Amino acid sequence: MDLPGPIHDFLLVFLGSGLILGGLGVVLLTNPIYSAFSLGLVLVCISLFYILSNSHFVAAAQLLIYVGAINVLILFAVMFMNGSEYYKDFNLWTIGNGLTSLVCTNTSWYGVIWTTRSNQIIEQDLISNSQQIGIHLATDFFLPFEFISIILLVALIGAIAVARQ
Amino acid sequence: MMLEHILVLSAYLFSIGIYGLITSRNMVRALMYLELILNAVNINFVTFSDFFDSWQLKGNIFSIFVIAIAATEAAIGSAIVSSIYCNRKSTRINQSTLLNK
Repeated sequence: MDLPGPIHDFLLVFLGSGLILGGLGVVLLTNPIYSAFSLGLVLVCISLFYILSNSHFVAAAQLLIYVGAINVLILFAVMFMNGSEYYKDFNLWTIGNGLTSLVCTNTSWYGVIWTTRSNQIIEQDLISNSQQIGIHLATDFFLPFEFISIILLVALIGAIAVARQ
Repeated sequence: MMLEHILVLSAYLFSIGIYGLITSRNMVRALMYLELILNAVNINFVTFSDFFDSWQLKGNIFSIFVIAIAATEAAIGSAIVSSIYCNRKSTRINQSTLLNK
């Protein structure tokens, strides 16, 4: 989006802090319903972040599919399996947990600074973002598009066949 | 300045998803962490498409395919988890050799 610089930076910092806190909440909350709602917060923050990155179609698809379908499906799965084993204090911090957290947080975070960047040519967009995605899906990426629809059909039939018993 | 911070954010989400996936004792939580990992990868794709490819948008299109595949996998995963739960009344991950009976 072409917002003025400080507003863009402030929105990025705001969404980034929402993402960081939501990610910590998904891992560290013991009640699985709370962590599923925290996952919903992460997905909404990511969708707003896509709007800031000029990708309006992916933002709408993320909001519809991830928040509206996948998060609701996960909530159904969490609420369906309410054994009494979920409400005991299950967060036993074993040695494996500590070791894995050390390994996962000691990556070289700012090694990504060495990505080279080309000269950014600012072009006028005569065609909007959604129209460009539609044009490319219909011409260049037509075969993956058809394969995705076949995969969705097979997955739907498979899920019904598994859940029928 | 902007690109590196966004890439660090997506790497952070990815590492949190990997940590949760390794140390989760519950199959439904494993599905949640898998969605976190796929979303971190999507942020990477969309950011690179926004910064370097505003003409052909290849990263955006691939992230749409990733969203579709993630929806498929969430549906199949929750069908498998609910059928395991109906059979055995428990969703601990270390009992997941139940499928090979």
